[in-house]
Amino acid sequence: MTGMEVLVIGGGPAGVSAALEMARGGLNVTLCEQGPRLGGAIHRQPDDPARRLRVPRAQRRRWRTLAEALSMSPVEILCRHMFAGVEGSGAVLLEDRASGRIVTRRPAALVLALGGVERVTPVPGWQLPGVVTVGGLQVMMKSTGRAPEGDILIAGSGPLLLAVAAQLTALGKAPVAVLERSTGPLSLRAVAGLIRAPAYLWEAAGYLSRLIRAGIRLQRGASVRSIAPAGNRLSVTIVDNIGLERRLVVDRVALHDGLLPNGNGTAAAPAGPFTVLAGDCREVLGGVAAIADGRLAGQAVLAKLGLAGSDSAGSAATLQHERRTQSALNTLFDYSGGDAAQLPDDTVICRCEGRTLGQLRALLAADDRVSAREIKLNGRFAMGACQGRFCAEWVAAYVASQRDGQPPQVAEIVGSRWPVKPVSVSAFVERHPSSPSE
Amino acid sequence: MSAAHFLSRAGWQVTVFDSGVVASGATGSADGAVSVASKKPGPLMTLAVAAVRFYERLAETGVLADEFMSRSTFMVAAQPDELDVLESQSAQLEAADVPVRLLKGRALAETVGAAAPAALAAVEVQGEGHAVGYRVVERLRRLGGFTIRRNCRILGLHHAGGRVDGVVTEQGIESFDAVLLAAGLGSMAFLAGPDLIRPRKGQLIVTDRADRDAPRFPGPLMSCRYLVSKGSHPAGNVTEARSLGLVIDPLRTGQFLIGGSREDRDDKDVADADVIASLLRDAVALSPSLAHLRVIRVFAGVRAATRDGMPIVGRVGGADNVWVATGFEGDGICLGPLMGHLCQQMICGQQPEHDISALDAGRFGLTLAEAA
Ligand SMILES: Cc1cc2nc3c(=O)[nH]c(=O)nc-3n(C[C@H](O)[C@H](O)[C@H](O)COP(=O)(O)OP(=O)(O)OC[C@H]3O[C@@H](n4cnc5c(N)ncnc54)[C@H](O)[C@@H]3O)c2cc1C
Ligand SMILES: Cc1cc2nc3c(=O)[nH]c(=O)nc-3n(C[C@H](O)[C@H](O)[C@H](O)COP(=O)(O)OP(=O)(O)OC[C@H]3O[C@@H](n4cnc5c(N)ncnc54)[C@H](O)[C@@H]3O)c2cc1C
Repeated sequence: MTGMEVLVIGGGPAGVSAALEMARGGLNVTLCEQGPRLGGAIHRQPDDPARRLRVPRAQRRRWRTLAEALSMSPVEILCRHMFAGVEGSGAVLLEDRASGRIVTRRPAALVLALGGVERVTPVPGWQLPGVVTVGGLQVMMKSTGRAPEGDILIAGSGPLLLAVAAQLTALGKAPVAVLERSTGPLSLRAVAGLIRAPAYLWEAAGYLSRLIRAGIRLQRGASVRSIAPAGNRLSVTIVDNIGLERRLVVDRVALHDGLLPNGNGTAAAPAGPFTVLAGDCREVLGGVAAIADGRLAGQAVLAKLGLAGSDSAGSAATLQHERRTQSALNTLFDYSGGDAAQLPDDTVICRCEGRTLGQLRALLAADDRVSAREIKLNGRFAMGACQGRFCAEWVAAYVASQRDGQPPQVAEIVGSRWPVKPVSVSAFVERHPSSPSE
Repeated sequence: MSAAHFLSRAGWQVTVFDSGVVASGATGSADGAVSVASKKPGPLMTLAVAAVRFYERLAETGVLADEFMSRSTFMVAAQPDELDVLESQSAQLEAADVPVRLLKGRALAETVGAAAPAALAAVEVQGEGHAVGYRVVERLRRLGGFTIRRNCRILGLHHAGGRVDGVVTEQGIESFDAVLLAAGLGSMAFLAGPDLIRPRKGQLIVTDRADRDAPRFPGPLMSCRYLVSKGSHPAGNVTEARSLGLVIDPLRTGQFLIGGSREDRDDKDVADADVIASLLRDAVALSPSLAHLRVIRVFAGVRAATRDGMPIVGRVGGADNVWVATGFEGDGICLGPLMGHLCQQMICGQQPEHDISALDAGRFGLTLAEAA
């Protein structure tokens, strides 16, 4: 041990693999996860071990390998510790959710493996209770081992739609419909890319056959146009690829338009420690890549601190391979969302503060080119509790579409302020006045 | 932006240059107390009274419709040694004809008791208000009538034939008949004179919304410690490089803005956990119900503080067509609209509506910098 302390935030595959790599290299590693258990998005562990959702075997095996290595390593694990940001003097702030206190650390290096965020493009009514994200639904099922009550509609675009539809079906709760926005035929490039990644094909084939057996059809080219309350259910207007509308009444709507790196809290802090991003929060490349990327992040830290790490060639090759696979996969989907020009003014864009598209349009109306900062302050986009995690990217893209493609930077809208997520006032009050590091 | 608004109404063709964007200075990182309560007795207090009335006028005439909210400010003493400060500030306010009401016993319990159970006494300062700096400038921007040039720094003034005939910008020279330097901390770069404006950083906290059944706040609570920190009160000859003055401001959104520190620093992009924790500790000591809320954002801004604590507004020596309006420190949201209006009057050759001789640039012997 060198005695040098490093901190890893995020207990998904990227964070765990970075922690292992750095521990092997002789560093004193602490791994923080906001949730009650490690696992991240893909390897989310159940609340009750007896109620576990079935996942593909290769996926299960990958996590078991990581978890076993971790249990034999000296890595210190802090669950229920939320990374709140790097404050002005360079200290890393963690909220200990069990004791309700702020803990500060001054590590020699920081690895942020915060994962991805789901993209959901706005449609009228998406702010209603009962509308969830497809990933959120999956996380809920992985945690509880149960499917939610009521009729479910799944819509948007991406491989996650199929995965979750199949998992729901396996729990005896097949979705009422699965709407995939993309109409694109399978391109040769995509197929060639996927042949190099049989694991993904097997996974998809498994999901598809389960859906086919259950008689569920994936409707391509269809999407949700709007959602309205219908008693205590939701009335969903669906439009198909030739523009025909129909209506479905369901209890829940799960939406998803791809994954994005979770950028909140990743802006460089001037006085902060040497920081490396790993996994989905650097580039969304899936579970296999996250492990390789975590290893690379660990190696970058070791190199920075003058220590030797293992050879990086293998991990770099894995990353390359997964990147090709992902881009092949992405050509099959359409993450663009609906045509923003068609959305009515009262469509809510920022669900935290209830800000609408009409308000954004009004801000952009004059010839005067308002800046990202003004859009944020006056439009109040990204001013709510989520700090723009769910709207900033869409707002930036919309502004760009109104201005011959010149986008304001998402980072300008989100800003770089801590706390990354809301922290209770009492956590600060409980903090010892000048607790330097604990 | 206020000067630009009034000048354009007076028939001038106006361009606002900003090295950043609109509200990128102190105006975008402030609380919005349009308040006399904390002002230093003397000309500043008198002008603040006029500034609050001016906001009311702008709200009535529609210029700042919906952007100004009338309300009372509550100065609160929670410790015996703050009672003196409370009494003397309240006497000064009364002397300046500001309506105040001393709250003790039952009246105290009924007004601020729920929000600040530990208060020993309070003074309600009536006829005050709140306006959000960036919203005020946004409103003026939308009313339009002048051009805004963002991301265009002014590098200096342009001279020809012994007089100023324009500005040197990052994007070239532009001609103007008159120049108003209202660049906050940046104004001093164009003026010769000893180093008389210092940055004073302030850190603020925004919480999430309180529950419906949370104790009601009658208005902003200003701890008497704040007056000491601000240096408004003689007892508080601030010499420390950092002081904390507590104001708990219930915002229209239902959130709270809690501030603020006064630090002799200019690193406006960072907030420190130590300062934030101290402010929150003080806030919860005064108003325990705040402990149930969450901090959603912290931010910092930098005020432009002059050596004598008074703004600098007036003509600059050595040129007959250059004016300055800066050094508003912690009072520029309150004073801004009125000062913009007075600048317009001066630039138009009129006698300003209020006596601002105390703010004259001449008191520091300010002239145009050689380099400019
Ligand atoms: C909902 C969802 C479902 C997915 N399903 C699949 C799938 O079926 N198959 C597949 O190949 N890929 C899937 N992915 C992609 C998947 O995220 C990656 O394959 C892989 O999990 C990325 O690993 P990671 O370690 O980078 O991030 P994650 O696994 O997302 O881990 C990030 C961890 O960081 C924690 N964290 C975030 N912010 C903080 C903070 N401020 N403080 C403390 N901890 C924090 C999170 O709680 C989380 O545990 C899914 C992604 C999402 C979002
Ligand atoms: C934390 C905090 C709390 C506050 N609370 C209150 C309050 O409750 N009530 C109140 O009345 N006041 C308050 N204030 C004070 C108030 O914010 C300021 O006094 C006021 O905003 C000053 O306005 P200004 O236009 O003079 O300067 P600024 O808003 O700083 O504007 C100056 C502008 O000039 C630009 N600039 C600088 N140099 C150049 C150059 N060379 N070329 C072109 N442009 C340039 C800057 O980019 C900036 O946009 C507070 C301030 C802070 C920091």
